Amino acid sequence: MTAIDTAIRAAAAEIDLIGVTKSYDAKNTIIPPIDVTLRRGEFTVVLGPSGCGKSTLLQMIAGLERVSGGKIVIGGREVQDLEPKHRGCAMVFQNYALYPHMTVAENMAYSLKVAGVSKAERAERVATVAKMLGLADFLTRKPGQLSGGQRQRVAIGRAIIREPGVLLFDEPLSNLDAQLRHDMRVELAELHRRIGATSVFVTHDQVEAMTLADRILILNKGHIEQFDTPKAIYHHPASVFVAKFIGSPPMNILQVEGDGSVLRLADGQAVANYAGKGKFQLGIRPEDIAVNEGGSIKTEIRYREDLGSHEILETKTAEQNLRIAMPFGVEIDTTQTLSLSFPQARLHLFEGESGRAIANAFGDAQPASVKEYQ
Amino acid sequence: MSSESSLFSHRWLPALLLAPLLLLIVLFFYVPVFQAFYWSFFLEQPFGGGSEFVGLQNFQRVLSDAEFWAATGRTVIFMLTASALAVVVPLMLAIAADRKIGMSYPARNILVWPKGIAGASIGVVFAFIFNPFVGLMGPLNALFPGLWNPGIDGTDAFITLVAAHVWSGIPFNFVILLAGLRSIPPTMYQAAAMDGAGPWRRIFDVQLPLIMPQLFLTFVLEFTESITSVFALIDTITGGGPGGSTTLLVYKIYVDGFRGFDLSGASTQTAILMVFVLLLAACQFYFLGRRINYER
Repeated sequence: MTAIDTAIRAAAAEIDLIGVTKSYDAKNTIIPPIDVTLRRGEFTVVLGPSGCGKSTLLQMIAGLERVSGGKIVIGGREVQDLEPKHRGCAMVFQNYALYPHMTVAENMAYSLKVAGVSKAERAERVATVAKMLGLADFLTRKPGQLSGGQRQRVAIGRAIIREPGVLLFDEPLSNLDAQLRHDMRVELAELHRRIGATSVFVTHDQVEAMTLADRILILNKGHIEQFDTPKAIYHHPASVFVAKFIGSPPMNILQVEGDGSVLRLADGQAVANYAGKGKFQLGIRPEDIAVNEGGSIKTEIRYREDLGSHEILETKTAEQNLRIAMPFGVEIDTTQTLSLSFPQARLHLFEGESGRAIANAFGDAQPASVKEYQ
Repeated sequence: MSSESSLFSHRWLPALLLAPLLLLIVLFFYVPVFQAFYWSFFLEQPFGGGSEFVGLQNFQRVLSDAEFWAATGRTVIFMLTASALAVVVPLMLAIAADRKIGMSYPARNILVWPKGIAGASIGVVFAFIFNPFVGLMGPLNALFPGLWNPGIDGTDAFITLVAAHVWSGIPFNFVILLAGLRSIPPTMYQAAAMDGAGPWRRIFDVQLPLIMPQLFLTFVLEFTESITSVFALIDTITGGGPGGSTTLLVYKIYVDGFRGFDLSGASTQTAILMVFVLLLAACQFYFLGRRINYER
């Protein structure tokens, strides 16, 4: 470890949300009671569509929103009634929220100044953080003279300079262009490894979630749909919602009916063997579908998208959309009807009504954590 | 020009549209200004009938008049106190109204109402409010006789003027400053809160620096306004008294010109006042305006 690595290193704190709930009035409940533990030093990404309550959750941890009920415990301390400054959290905002009238150095040192840290120490800490983030040459500039990526770095510097136990990110990359977003993602991951603060990162971008997170917490209308590692979420989604949210293009969900031995599409085609009766939803990822001559499932090609590395076929079977990802180089006659087969091990089965995953439907082991949050 | 002329090809239409406004400005602003400067070099007969060029004699006369300097001193004191208060009071109200505290919505509405009242009406109302016998101070006067009487005490009269001026200045400055405060992104406060700054600290470190353009605007306008618009208030509340203690320059000009029929003296003082106001605004822009950060 270099000197810089040890200079800014937080004492990471565990975050426990115990029955935390938020509602603006009797009718509008943003977040029903949530119980979740974010482990020390863990990088948690809170993922969900807009309006799912993920930013509200973050603001409640930060202390910018009051909780309507429940407890927030950070590092063993109940903080839900404390001011933001007493919670030991720092935050990076979506629009950076830098002070436009202060220089980069002043922006980063502001929290230290408020806390009464001496001028000499402030300068020293600013120099350390600036070096770490590659901002040393910009310290006397105003935010208006910086590029988007530089501003984002200043915002991060401002957050980490106090060595907070908890780092909160509110969609910090969404204002950046694609290339910069990728670079910043890599930098953030690197930074997290160095600083080690417990991090909570809110986003609606599944790529950010998959690449950054130790664990992803997927929110849907304030409910936790699933809280697990990116791998587990990808391979064993706990619900149709998660299955459709993760993966690009998202998982195909087919409405099927079980007769006690096989699952059939509406037009009678058998797609899988399963000893259950009633309505189910069957999931298969576009890249898991096998296209072969002997396949028993027929589908009609409607449209193809060539993405260079692979090709997406939009097809229709039994009046339901089915996307297929074809690897590069496979020639397909787009006028014909395709024959497919679904590898049993790659199928996901969900309950017809609730959309909840049915564990071990086709004999594969689901991780325990899926059950935990059902 | 070429790219614009393809959009606006008429030659005479713009001129025609501008004409009424230009005519008004020239007729009621530039001509009188020029006239005042012109007359300040002449000795005018009070009832017409020719004038005589006297060079700088008018200026010599006015500048050696103790009354002129006294009125100028009072004008400067009024300008500093009244315009400072006329910005600070609306600023406090705007900061309060900007927060979502109780009653802030109706307050935002009500605080704009004085804008609709003419200066003379405000004067009449304040003359009544500060009346030593029946006004607000009446009960205090009953307890401590002689405590408050703007009719006798020049300081009391001056305070009454300042109060009336500040009150009449609230709506405009309040609206400008509140607009400035409302345009600060809420995440700025959240960031400051995360940085540990309490509400008071946020006012001085975030809000005030970010509404500098609005503060500057209100100060520049107030400084010039306080010199000229106070006329209606003086005329209705104090009439320049008691003992000339509220005779500011703008009122003295009126008295000299239209009661004393010293048209040349009044013109000369007008010219001096105009130059003073212009210099003041220029200084403000030169020394303050350049430092203001308009970036958001």
